[in-house]
Amino acid sequence: MIVRVWGARGSLSAPGPATVGYGGNTSCVELELADGTTLILDAGSGIRELGQRLVERDPGVVHICLTHLHLDHVEGLGFFTPLWRAGWRVRFWGPPSTTATLRERVSRYLSPPLFPIGLSEAPAEAVFEDVPRKPWRIGSAVVEAQTVEHRGPTLGYRIEEEGRVLAYLPDHEPYLTAASDDDPRWISGWALAAGADLLLHDSQYTADEYAGRMGWGHSSVTQAATFASAAGVRRLAMFHHDPMRSDRALEELYDEVAQLLRSDQEPPLIAREGLEIDLGADTPS
Amino acid sequence: MERKQPDLVLIVARSFATKLATPTLIIDARGDLVFFNDAATEVLGRSYTEIGALQAGRWQELFEPRTLDEEPMTAEQTPGGVALLERRPVNGSFAMRGLDGREREITVTAFPLFSHPDEVVGSMSIFWELPPAP
Repeated sequence: MIVRVWGARGSLSAPGPATVGYGGNTSCVELELADGTTLILDAGSGIRELGQRLVERDPGVVHICLTHLHLDHVEGLGFFTPLWRAGWRVRFWGPPSTTATLRERVSRYLSPPLFPIGLSEAPAEAVFEDVPRKPWRIGSAVVEAQTVEHRGPTLGYRIEEEGRVLAYLPDHEPYLTAASDDDPRWISGWALAAGADLLLHDSQYTADEYAGRMGWGHSSVTQAATFASAAGVRRLAMFHHDPMRSDRALEELYDEVAQLLRSDQEPPLIAREGLEIDLGADTPS
Repeated sequence: MERKQPDLVLIVARSFATKLATPTLIIDARGDLVFFNDAATEVLGRSYTEIGALQAGRWQELFEPRTLDEEPMTAEQTPGGVALLERRPVNGSFAMRGLDGREREITVTAFPLFSHPDEVVGSMSIFWELPPAP
């Protein structure tokens, strides 16, 4: 499983010279599975460039697993080229709702007045499904989704292939409903992240910022490191960077995170656009 | 440790209970007692930290729930059990023995915890000790 980050920013796209190092595109991660299947995690603005890359090949099927439908996780769909090309099949997976189907909810954004073109006009075949309640197979991977602590129905994902595990919890506030020293089983998202080789986790705030934003659905970098330790993940990648955070400010947080991790964990990463990790070989580039 | 954990609805319910000053107890889909808050300690006679999670049969044995007419009740017949099995809110009063050995009569409001429209992951019981009859 090859993991490629196309957008690691949270909440709002943040292009500009101060963020060019880690990138300003919102959440989007591509997984290239061993059998060639393309699985995409979230459709933030980072998916625009990924889409351009995908249409260089013959039309086929792509899977998009949405954690939730906040704008920074779906805003790239209007410019996701495979969706706007005949012959492609885009299979969406997302959180269930008691009030509307996934298609109806995504269409709220992909329709006037928020977007000029409606989803029904997309030439590609778009298929929408609520995530199954038990692990299921996408290509050569086994995918598990669970509801996690955030504002509104939100999923975290665990993707396992050939004994390697990626956990993806980009919007997550586990310590709103648990204490840091709680039994880990009572910490939101723990089972998804437990023992993962790589965890992409919400690291939006500094500890000081979090104090004024408790309940907004995101974690401080300190909490991200605490969660990664509680879950015993091999490597944490800080993700969903605050749109106000410059590259330099992000790097200033790095040491704080590194110090909180256990000695048996690998040094953390700051997720950036262009980051590629082959979980089989396990070397970031 | 097995990679299993309670549904988020139970996690949030437990978090809610920890912040309530009203005695509150949570059972999971199997009927096991998985949490009660500090406020419940006075009614139940010991703290959750002291006794931890209890299987359905065990908490029934310890608390000896009975109707107000002193007829024994099973765990399934308590308001929390009814809320779980019949998937509806319920209110009722019954007698029990606290873990400090003191007999009590309590009134319970219990409701099922749905994670999906067709899936109940537990029930939450909020309860009050009835004042002794005059």
